[in-house]
Parts: sequence; structure tokens; C-alpha cells
Amino acid sequence: MSLFDKIFPPKVITLPNGKQIKKPRSRAPLAAVILLAMTAISVEVTGFDMGVLVQRINQFFVILGDMIPPDWSYMPQIWQPLFDTIKMSLLGSFIGSILVVPFAMLASTNIIHSRVVVAAMRLLLSIIRTLPTLVSALIATYIFGLGTLAGTTAIAIFTFAYIGKILYEEIETVDMGPFEAMEAMGATKVRAFISSIVPQVLPSYLSNCLFCFEGNVRYASILGYVGAGGLGLILNEKIGWREYASVGMILLALFVTVFIIETISRAARKRLV
Amino acid sequence: MNKRIEAAYEQRPRRWVFELVVALVVVALLIWSGSAVETAGTTQNGAKIAWNILAGIFHPDTDLLFNLTKQGVPYLLLETICIAFLGTVVGAIISIPLAFLSAANLTPKPVAFIGRIIIMAIRTVPAFVYGLMFIRVTGPGAFAGLLTMSLCSVGMVSKMYIEAIEDLDVRVLESLDAEGCTTWQKIRYGILPQLMPNFASTAIYRFDINLRDATVLGLVGAGGIGAPLIFAMNAYRWEEAGAILAGLIVLVLIVEWISTKIRVKLARG
Amino acid sequence: MIQFKNVDKRYPNGYEALKNINLTIDQGEFVAIIGLSGAGKSTLIRTINRMHDITKGELTVDGTDVMSLHGKSLRKFRRKIGMIFQSFNLITRTTVIKNVLTAFVPDLPWWRATFGIFNKEEKMKALEALDKMGILDKAFVRADQLSGGQQQRVALARTLAQNPQIILADEPVASLDPVTAKQVMDDFQRINREMNITVLINIHHVELALQYATRVIGIRAGEIVYDGPADQVDQSVLDAIYQGKQEEAV
Repeated sequence: MSLFDKIFPPKVITLPNGKQIKKPRSRAPLAAVILLAMTAISVEVTGFDMGVLVQRINQFFVILGDMIPPDWSYMPQIWQPLFDTIKMSLLGSFIGSILVVPFAMLASTNIIHSRVVVAAMRLLLSIIRTLPTLVSALIATYIFGLGTLAGTTAIAIFTFAYIGKILYEEIETVDMGPFEAMEAMGATKVRAFISSIVPQVLPSYLSNCLFCFEGNVRYASILGYVGAGGLGLILNEKIGWREYASVGMILLALFVTVFIIETISRAARKRLV
Repeated sequence: MNKRIEAAYEQRPRRWVFELVVALVVVALLIWSGSAVETAGTTQNGAKIAWNILAGIFHPDTDLLFNLTKQGVPYLLLETICIAFLGTVVGAIISIPLAFLSAANLTPKPVAFIGRIIIMAIRTVPAFVYGLMFIRVTGPGAFAGLLTMSLCSVGMVSKMYIEAIEDLDVRVLESLDAEGCTTWQKIRYGILPQLMPNFASTAIYRFDINLRDATVLGLVGAGGIGAPLIFAMNAYRWEEAGAILAGLIVLVLIVEWISTKIRVKLARG
Repeated sequence: MIQFKNVDKRYPNGYEALKNINLTIDQGEFVAIIGLSGAGKSTLIRTINRMHDITKGELTVDGTDVMSLHGKSLRKFRRKIGMIFQSFNLITRTTVIKNVLTAFVPDLPWWRATFGIFNKEEKMKALEALDKMGILDKAFVRADQLSGGQQQRVALARTLAQNPQIILADEPVASLDPVTAKQVMDDFQRINREMNITVLINIHHVELALQYATRVIGIRAGEIVYDGPADQVDQSVLDAIYQGKQEEAV
């Protein structure tokens, strides 16, 4: 019996033939009250105003209108940062997803039996995951200087945290039989892991890495804003100069790139799973 | 017999060619991407800077952390929650018609395809570009932030809604049909009860992400905890940044814990 | 009374599912329809409440010409015919009682249907229907937490709440294990005897059909090849229905 049922005890219904049944109170009213309260508070705090939105929404399309048609002559200058963005996300995703493997192993209850180690690893992964990518990118620019190295680092950290959680959940659901058999034959934990767990986890791991990479390409375009290289750098610059036709071109290039990468990656993921 | 074995051997999957090609392509791509790692004037004492940052972050400014005025961390966090919450609600509402239009089992192929392209386009534009566009509408502040959040949510949320719609169990509709229900009643009692838990779960999940991504809004002055955080970092006031980060991380972890509980409940009943 | 007169059913792709069906089923009969997969059992049952249209002949239920019904009159007509499916067709993500309550939806005013407001009388009727099926204690449990047999009972309760004169059942026990299948068939028998509801069942299991039904209709390639009491079905009759493929069919 949950706390909710203790506070709002179930209603007893009696049928004409004397049989009784307990009807648990619906959670819907409570959920509705909480949602309404949160909405009311949010509207108050953020100053949400439908009137302003309706009246001035056309302003939203002013910049959008300036982006169309995009400035095609700007394209030659986009290639370099575009490739930088792809390179950053590719390398960052690769480094992050490789580095996380031992940590994910340490965070799986079926591999490591020490609860302390598992809990510590999971806390570490959670904290890194909650660290905004923007913050890690900023810190990286302070340490490594402006440029793509900082962006690559930020993406690697994000990938590390994202893949880490998925990977240890994945490892925990595998069939442990082969692992035990390997250990019984005298293999070390690492070797048993490689030959019994890896084949089970590998396809979905690779698929998740590809998925993460897809997202990273998109995310990498923001990082330039804090000086971490790639498309964001010129995007920031062009917005600053109000050259919206160039901004439109950058976004179009990004869109096409993301579309191509997603198509390839989706096809690859279909083969994997 | 021998022939058959030979034939089977001949037809063995020759995957190694394919695998070798894939491996070569991957290695080539990695080498190519390695060429991009450049940095403009690495400061020699990177390690020292890193140490300063860590030292600052682990000695958060407790005055700021427990300051209850509008500049304090608690109020900034509240504002961030509000932006993320309302942004999620608005985004989830916008996603519903988009998802129905783009579900391949409901609409004709070309319409669904166009819907998907629109969703992808919405997803591609970086958050700060939206932020700048909305600031023109509402002026700087939390209002612009929540509109930005809502548009950023649309991409992922509608994608997951589409999946839920495409997974609908249509056999229920048959039994409602046999009971004599009208089309509207079939939607109300056959489709909505299937979609509601799914949609709610997706929205809660997105709320988590929005809370985490809300810092981006600070870049363009669209409210929330991002701006003070970035100012503090740009000014090397690491104790301040530490206080804000500590608050944010604790908040996100708590919200994540609660939302996971609710989502498990929605999925299993 | 259900009456088929020279009924033909041809699908748009030209496939002839029913050929010249002549059949009269009286109120309160327990009829089992047997035959190979694809023989037309399912089509036959679904023409009765017009989930499928017939292409020739005349089909009447209690004197109503089924093919003359449209929209509202058709929905009203379907109210008195319950239908049970092989896959239960419940809304698995909501509670059992909400599933049963959908039986009342077509009779509600639009605003109550839209907001899902049911009065006490309807709720009590739903609970009673569940009680009749012996699953009252599951009323507020989510349907996906029930076993297959329990889910089929919920479907039966939903149909009973509709207060039908006829129940059509399309392979109701095909996805249940043998023991549960027997229990569900017992339920059908009880409903048939105690409430005098006509029951038409499509069924693969010949044994169950012979054990429970009072009348058996054998269909082969869209034609009725046997129609008579269950106790007169012998090996030659089964051979005729299954073309000697009975072993595979069972």
C-alpha cells in the first residue's frame, strides 16, 4: 500500500449481492492540481503572456524571412567550419565512447559486486551527465585555449556520460551464463568480459554510439558560440553582423549535413540491431 | 553430399570484405577528424587553470547558494524550472498535431514525409538562434527562454509521439466498432487511453532534458540560470560558478529521480 | 433469430468467401462453426453484425435486414450483438473497469462520452458483469497485468454489460492454454443457458466444439457442408469438413 493510498483510503463499493470491492482513489485529480499549480507559478515567474505572443509573433518571422533566400555565395567559406564541426563530433564521440567502457563496467552490478564502487561510479556518471555541455566547453576553452580541441573535449565528456548510463544498463541485462562459464574456466574478469559480455552488448553499444554521434553533430554547432570551434563560430559572427542570409546558408548546410549523416547512421543502425 | 557441402561453403557469407571496408572507412574518418584538433594559443599553464577551476567549484560561494533574493541561486533555479516546465508543456502541445500529421500509418506518404522534414528542420536550428528570434518578439528574459525551449522540444517530442502513434493497437478499434461506437467515441476510448501514458512519459523525459539544457538560454539573455553562470565563468569567479553548478546539479538529479519514478509508474501501471 | 437466405460474399479482389449460405439460428442456441482456416468461418460471423458486407442474398436478424442499416441505425443494431475476439482487444493501458464501461459509451450523451463521466448505476452494472465472470477483485487493476484467460473474461464482461441478445465469438479460445480455454468455454455455456443469449462461436478445437455446442455448422471453402446437432457429428462428417486433413487442423 503506497503512501497515497494511506492518505486517501480506497473507497469500498458494495454490490447488490453483498460483495465488496475496494476502489483505489484516482491519482488524476492530484496530478491535475500539481500540474495546474506548476503552470500557474511558471506563467507568473516567466511572464508568459499570450497577448504579446499573438500580437508580436510576426517579429519571429522577420529574421526567418531575412534568412530566405540563403546567400549561396557564402557557401565556400562554410566548408571549413562545417568539416570542423563534423570532425569535432566524430572524434569526440569516438574518444568518449571508448573511454567510458571501463567505467560502465565498474558501474554494473553484475560485473562488480562491491556496492560502494558501483554507487561511486554511478554518482560520477550522473554528475558528469548533469554538467551542461556548454559549461564543459567553456571550461575546456580556458584549459586548452580557443579552438576545436576544446569542442572535441566537451563532446567527448558529453558522450562519456550519455553512453555510460546506457551501457551499464545494457550490461546489466545480458545473460550472465557465458561469463560465469569463462570465469569457471579460469579466465580473468576482463578476459571473460571481452569474450562473453562484449558480443552480447556490442551491437546495441555501436548503435547507441552512432545515435549519440548524430546528436553531437547538431550540438557541436552550438559550441562555437563559446569559442570552441566549428560552425557556431561563424554563426555567432554572422548573427552579430546581422547577415541573416549567410546565417540561413549556414543553417541550410547544417540541415543537409545532419540529414545525410542521420540517413547513413540510421541505415547502419538497422544493420546492427 | 560433398557437392552440397561445397556449395554451402561457396555460399558462406563473405563478410570479411565488407567488415574490412567498414573498418578502413572508420579508421580513415578518425584520422581525418584528428586533423581538426587545433587550438589557438594554448595557455601553457592549462593544468594550473584547471586546478583553480576545480578548487573554486568545490568551494562554492555559500552566500549565493542560500541567498533568497532574485539574484540568489534558489530563485534562479525556480526560474529555470519554470522555463523548462512551461517550455515542455507548450512544446508537447505543438508536437501533437505535428506528430499526427507525420505518422506514416495515418496520413498519406507525401504528407508524412513533409511533416518529418519540418520536424527535422526545427530540430536542426541551434537553440541560441531561436533565442535571438524570440527576443525580438518578447524582449529579453524568461518569456523568450520558454518559447525557445518549447521549439527545441518539438523535434524530439514529436519524433517520439510519432513512434507511439505508429505502435497503436488497432484491434481495440474493431471491438469498439462492434459495440456500436461512433468515430469520435472510437478515438476517445480506443486511441487516447493508449497514447496518453506514452505522451505524458515523453513529456516528462523531455522536461529533464530541458532543465539540463536551460543553461544555453543564458547565452542570448533568454532568462534562467545560464546567464549568471556564464558571467561568473567569464569573470573567473569560480566560487560563484561552483555555487550555481552545485545547485543545478542537485536539482537535476532530484528531478531526474522523481521523473524516472513517475515514468516507471506510467509504463507499468 | 438470425436468417441467411442465399447469401454470397465476394471480396473486392474477387475471392469468394461465402457461397449460397442458407441458415436459420433461433434465439438461445449455442452454435459452433468449424472448418479449416480460410474456409470462411470468420467472414460468416462478421457478416451478422456487418463488420463485413454481404454481396448477394438476404441476411436478417430479428426481422431487420442487416444490409439496409447505415450509420446510426447500424450502430444501434450493433448494441444488441456482443462480439468477442481471439486477441481480447482490450485497452491494455487502462483499468479493467474502464474497459467494461466502454460498453455504455454509445448510449451516453456526447458530453459524458467525451469527458468519460459514468454514473453510479453504470459503474454498478459494470461491476456486476465482472462479478458474473468471477473477476470482481480485478476491477481496478490495469488490464495488461491480467493473464490471457482473465483478459478474455474482461472482454466477456464488457459484452455482457452491453446486455446483448446475441454473442459472436471469433476464435475466443485460440490464444489460451487448454485448461483456461475450457474455463472460458464454461463461461460461454453459462451465459447461454442462464441468460438465453444466442452464442455463435468460431472454433478450431473440434473437441471443445462438440463438447459445448448444441449445434455444429461445418464450413468448407465458403459452403456449409454440415449443419446439425453436435452429437451426430462423426468421423465421416469431420472428413467432409476437413477433407481428411483433420489431424493438421486440430
